[in-house]
Amino acid sequence: MMKRLSARFCEKFRLPLKDALFLGFCAVFAVLTRVVLRLHLHISGHAMIIKVFFLMLARGSTPCLYGASFTALLAGTAAMFLGFAKAGPLIIVKYLVTGIVIDAGAFLLPMLFRSYVLCALVAGAASSTKFFTAYGINALVGMDPVVNLQRSLLEAAGAVVFGVAGGLMVPMVVRRLKAYDVIK
Amino acid sequence: MAGDRFSRLHTTLARGSHHDNRPDKGIPLPVGVKMLLALTLSCLAFLARTETFLGMVTAANLLVFVLLRPQGVSWWRQGRLFVFQTTVIVVLYILRFGSLAGVRDGLLISWQLFLAFWPTMVFAKTTSQAKIVRAMNRIMPSRMSFVMATCLKFAPHLLEEVRDIYEGQVLRGARILPKDLARPWNWPDLVHCVVVPAVVQGMALAGNIAMAARVRDFGLHSRRTCWPGD
Repeated sequence: MMKRLSARFCEKFRLPLKDALFLGFCAVFAVLTRVVLRLHLHISGHAMIIKVFFLMLARGSTPCLYGASFTALLAGTAAMFLGFAKAGPLIIVKYLVTGIVIDAGAFLLPMLFRSYVLCALVAGAASSTKFFTAYGINALVGMDPVVNLQRSLLEAAGAVVFGVAGGLMVPMVVRRLKAYDVIK
Repeated sequence: MAGDRFSRLHTTLARGSHHDNRPDKGIPLPVGVKMLLALTLSCLAFLARTETFLGMVTAANLLVFVLLRPQGVSWWRQGRLFVFQTTVIVVLYILRFGSLAGVRDGLLISWQLFLAFWPTMVFAKTTSQAKIVRAMNRIMPSRMSFVMATCLKFAPHLLEEVRDIYEGQVLRGARILPKDLARPWNWPDLVHCVVVPAVVQGMALAGNIAMAARVRDFGLHSRRTCWPGD
């Protein structure tokens, strides 16, 4: 039943196979780059630089309206089943929420990938979802609300800083790809 | 140093699709059962509110660990993750309650969060990528699972190309060595010299795979008819 519904959804919003594969590569690299770079900064949220960069790149380099969400779904699934997830099955939600914010930003702001300021704003908004996901996960395990609020704010603060840094790299890449006529 | 990590990851990914024939050290459970077990244990960790319940979940995890006997678990990495997470939570609990009374609660919460992640790690260490993707085909649309399988299969190839680009740019004198990247003003160099060519390479590879799939009548059957290793 669930599979039939999702198949019908895919049929309705069919992606060209080439774009789907490129988004898949972005998803796999969003997960794997963390392992290659191993940024042991011990600052919460440093992985957001890679996550936001690849999700925004996926949306910016394909015409697909739900490119970031699709990439996020693939990345979350890959992270969970390849054993890179710190939040268990909820890692998919963490990726997906970020992807949805980026897609919404790209839908509402058509000039998004040409402007550094807009990219920074959307990247900041996408990274700030870390607060809600972290708060939700900690609330699920029954953490004290005040401690939960403090810990989620600590995590989100780092995530926003690194997310904005990741977002600021996107216009540079998209501009170069357009100059080489790789994307329209 | 970065080259070593590239090589290690490349080897791990390349082996992932080939070690299907390697005999399991533990009980050879079907992938679907293992997946369900991992998700159930992970969800139970979130639901555990009492010490007894958490103890039972820990015992179940230990039992699964002994039965499946995962290979290559990095105890140092997992231990460090747990210690770092516990330190932050316990310190916040002490600040909140102003005494050592919060230490116990902080430790329990941290252990719960650790147990939420542990089962999927055990699952990943005891199941090959090909089997995981095959199992995902049961819950995902076939097109999506094809994309996932193909991207995981070609990731080592693309990684190899990225490494070639990286080494070529280092030889050209680009400031992208790990010590250069410690300075954020060198990051645009990394974007221009490595990221942009890697994205172009990724798009070209995606185009080639899509064309190869099309000429082989990909999409003619709603279910996948061929799997790597069949």
